[in-house]
Amino acid sequence: MFLRLVFESFRRQKRRKSVALLAIALGMSIATAMIAVGTDVGDKINQELRSSGGANLLLIPLEDTLDVNLGGVSLKPASEGAFIDEADLVKLKGIFWGHNILGFAPFLSDHLTATAHEHDFKAEVIGTYFAQPLRYGTETFTTGVRTVNTWWKVEGDWPPDYSEWPKDRAPGVLIGGKLAQANSLAAGDELTINGKKLRVAGILSTGGAEDQAVVAPLHIVQQLLGHPHAVRMVLVSALTKPEDAFARRDPSTLSGPVRDRWYCSPYATSIAFQIHEALPGVRAEQIRQVEQNQGKVLSQISGLMLLLTLAALGASALAVSAAMAATILERRQEVGLMKSLGATNGAVASLFLTEASFLALTGATLGFLAGTVLAHQIGQNVFGSAIVVRPVVLVVVLFTALLVTFLGSAGAVRKAMRFDPAVVLRGDA
Amino acid sequence: MNRSRLFFRLMLKDAWVRKDRAVTALLSVVVVATMATVALTIYSDLEGKLSHEFRSFGANVIVTTPNGSLSANELAKVTAIAGNKSDVVPIAYAIGTFSTGQKIVVGGADLGKLCRLNSWWSLKKENDGPSMIGSRADTGGAFTLTFGSANSDLIRPGTVFTSGSDDDSRLYVPLEQFVRWTRLEPSTALVRVDGRPREIESAVAQLRASLPHLEVEPVRQIAAAQTAVLGKTRSVVLAASVVVVVLIMVCMVATFTSSVLERRKDFAVMKALGASNRTVNLLFAAQAVFLAVAGATVGYIAGSAVAFWIGRANFDAAIFPQPGLFVPVVLGSVMLALIAATAPIKLLQRIQPAGILRGE
Repeated sequence: MFLRLVFESFRRQKRRKSVALLAIALGMSIATAMIAVGTDVGDKINQELRSSGGANLLLIPLEDTLDVNLGGVSLKPASEGAFIDEADLVKLKGIFWGHNILGFAPFLSDHLTATAHEHDFKAEVIGTYFAQPLRYGTETFTTGVRTVNTWWKVEGDWPPDYSEWPKDRAPGVLIGGKLAQANSLAAGDELTINGKKLRVAGILSTGGAEDQAVVAPLHIVQQLLGHPHAVRMVLVSALTKPEDAFARRDPSTLSGPVRDRWYCSPYATSIAFQIHEALPGVRAEQIRQVEQNQGKVLSQISGLMLLLTLAALGASALAVSAAMAATILERRQEVGLMKSLGATNGAVASLFLTEASFLALTGATLGFLAGTVLAHQIGQNVFGSAIVVRPVVLVVVLFTALLVTFLGSAGAVRKAMRFDPAVVLRGDA
Repeated sequence: MNRSRLFFRLMLKDAWVRKDRAVTALLSVVVVATMATVALTIYSDLEGKLSHEFRSFGANVIVTTPNGSLSANELAKVTAIAGNKSDVVPIAYAIGTFSTGQKIVVGGADLGKLCRLNSWWSLKKENDGPSMIGSRADTGGAFTLTFGSANSDLIRPGTVFTSGSDDDSRLYVPLEQFVRWTRLEPSTALVRVDGRPREIESAVAQLRASLPHLEVEPVRQIAAAQTAVLGKTRSVVLAASVVVVVLIMVCMVATFTSSVLERRKDFAVMKALGASNRTVNLLFAAQAVFLAVAGATVGYIAGSAVAFWIGRANFDAAIFPQPGLFVPVVLGSVMLALIAATAPIKLLQRIQPAGILRGE
């Protein structure tokens, strides 16, 4: 009898039920989409910062002497100080957070005299990876300044990363825009450094000191300087978690599970610590300008999205409650009829709440599906990558839907039951 | 009783007698208006608020002179163009030599301003004294430097700083000391222009135009990060807001329509008593407008309060209500309510009042 009442109520009041169902589904798709976007936006913006804002870790040899850089020109002779062994660098991918290392670029530079158009000039010659394919274990990956310093712009072509001096032709290099202008060099021109011929592949513009420099493949510069495998410093771009008080703890003072938790959190400090473990002769430092400030911006954006999500959840809860209340309030005659036929308050309430829970569960499932599609669309349109909705969101959404519909119905049901059936049926209430 | 008094009485009495129905309809309008106000208020202020956060990245424009030093006149021009909220820190560099022969880059600047600009430096006070030394260069003691033929006084760095950049190998001393030792005046100015990416670009263009013999370079790394993050954040807030506001609107229209459809008996009674279609339409529409205006006003106030609170909680700075949004929010709510209220009436007009009253 009870089930039949429920069934008939759905069959005979299709319009009312579909309005309620629509409201719940809409409300829950808002909840799904906002929870998914709100929880994922931090990661997405972090990726964005990493790809546009450059490296956040700096590796230098532990035993190195002071850098003497002035206006982007290194006045320290290449023979002085210590070096990092280039062959060790792939080990960066082998640390615990190796997957968070998005890229790195090694650098070796010196102040040299170059000759072009039968005219000598002094210039900083910087050796680095452009897009060097590397192999770590079974994994191959490509890294270099094109991944790390995405704001470097080249007019012409990026030269290939040579593994040794090509016999038949001059290796390609990039010339900083200002240096090229001062010495009227253009793509295709040749220049000579230390008796070796180089070809200008493109004109580089960075807005920084590189605009006055010659940027060449690392191996070519190593050969020019007679320092095979030598690297002076490495810029690393790693996905990190914004620093908090726990991140600043000194790992040597931690022990047991606390240390494990520190070690297994992708803080810049713990990644730097792991890099030092893998490369003992290297000092890894966070580039504080990037790391500290990006963390701040990131937590503000995540915070904003969280608060917007809360506001949207509140709004959809109210909207669903209002819709449920509206549909039940209109049914007070039914309540009057049931009560005059002898139904107890409990029986009436359970009938309405069963209907409500059925609506809530169906609406929430539909809303979850629609919300997943919406979140996916937002991810694709804004970030060009999908926003994945975690299955736990379905549980949250189902639970929220039940809670909200119950709250919306309960008040209205109680109100409907308070009236005298006779008055309601007469239509006076 | 004249017609218009009867009209208003009908309208108000209906809302009063069926308070709960009026309240649910009102609530759904309030929710839409609140959410729309929150989203629009935050969106309109987002760029400003986030750009402000990028202040902490330090100098975003660097002005250098290719030879000699920056004159007071040039510095004044830079300050004037950058605007009064911006910072300009003139800085001079020289290479000093320790008695061991080790070379070090020495900078002379207003150190208080320099620290404020480079807010990410982690500072450790070691001694009294104004000079600051990078953590890689720190020797822990006092030393003198030679600059060519000139000697410095005994330097005992007061503060050790860590930056994670070239600066860690440098020594910074107050500008007047630096000038006394080296006879060099500042040749570089670190400039932080406070503003949105567009405003920074225009400041750079103005600096280049009015100081053609100086080199003016934006720090592209920071500009790129700022533009990318601001753009993406604005888009994601916009997309999320559009989704939320549109869905909540549909939800409101459904609720509103449903509550109007439930009143088919009132409609039929009015028609049976001789009311014209026009009068009935007008009555329903007027009620909808009344509810929408009341709901949107409450929603605008609530939404502004929520946005203000979000600003406080998240940015430590208030996001102030935008008076310009009030009219669009109210008009939008009225439009929606009118659509929601009049569409079902069209349906009802097709049915004979007698049919409705019989319960068909």
